[in-house]
Amino acid sequence: MSVDLTMPVLVVDDYKTMIRIIRNLLKQIGFNDVDDAADGSEALNKMKERDYGLVISDWNMEPMTGYELLKEVRSDSGLRRTPFIMVTAESKTENVIAAKKAGVNNYIVKPFNAQTLKNKIGSVFGE
Amino acid sequence: MPENHLDFSRTDELIELLTKIRDGEPSLVDIMAMAELLATTLQPYFRKLDTSLYGELRHIAQYIVKTKDEIGSLQANHMSEERIPEAGMELSAVVDATESATDRIMESAETLMAADPSDHQAYADLVNAEVMNIFEACSFQDITGQRISKVVETLEFIDRRISRFASTLKVEDKRDALSQDEISREERRQKQILHGPQMSGEGVGQDDVDALFGGDDGAAPASQDDIDALFH
Repeated sequence: MSVDLTMPVLVVDDYKTMIRIIRNLLKQIGFNDVDDAADGSEALNKMKERDYGLVISDWNMEPMTGYELLKEVRSDSGLRRTPFIMVTAESKTENVIAAKKAGVNNYIVKPFNAQTLKNKIGSVFGE
Repeated sequence: MPENHLDFSRTDELIELLTKIRDGEPSLVDIMAMAELLATTLQPYFRKLDTSLYGELRHIAQYIVKTKDEIGSLQANHMSEERIPEAGMELSAVVDATESATDRIMESAETLMAADPSDHQAYADLVNAEVMNIFEACSFQDITGQRISKVVETLEFIDRRISRFASTLKVEDKRDALSQDEISREERRQKQILHGPQMSGEGVGQDDVDALFGGDDGAAPASQDDIDALFH
């Protein structure tokens, strides 16, 4: 993967176990600079403080969902170019369409495996 | 007032008394006689009125007794004080057990990931120990299965009683009966497109999603046909 493995990645999920799983998968891929947030608003604050190379977010969180976070990011001139992957159990067609319309770069349906995550990250960075 | 609800047997007396009152100063005795005559004349009407009113009240009383019986059969206190709290505790125990098992399994996996394979014997011993740890952690499934069965049993208990109550009393669902909190949650659910995890066979798979995003290489954007395919 020719993706810059040194870039900071932000994982957003309200389940610590899922954050831990994604962290480990990212570590296996080669990413070592990984931050996390428990919902969209915490993620947004972190994104305003640090320039992340990739955001991997769950959809269903409180108070701010991943969908809201995506729309906020895409409407912020300073953040709008940040690559954004949604990793979620929301697998209804309308969710996928809505996320795509809102500007998500890729969409992973839970449960997923390491290869899928690796492929989607590669796809987002044009591999 | 229908004619058959009056007693006309003393009509002559009544006319005579009315004539007497009209022609002169009525005495207290005349007035009392008049009242007695009128009461007698209207007696059948009052009896009829009493009977139908009694029937109505009796019907209402029977309905109240039946409703009270049905409410008793609901075992609402048993539900709210025992069954539902117990089901909540069972589910909490399931969450705790799965969380604990996941934690143990991940600990083992992380230990294996970080292990140094240069010493083959030590590495093999470590792998065996961690694999055993994973097997042990997986034993949570048996207990959580039993706990979930108890919760399902409680849901069926509630369902049976509510269904019987609604059916016996012919209860119809009232529209707009949601609380403000429920309305807010429903509005959020719709606005944020929150469906939760889909059951097997529902929703779309990763392949369908990939088709929409133009495949892993990202070269071809999704066509309308790709999108349409997601709706079939």
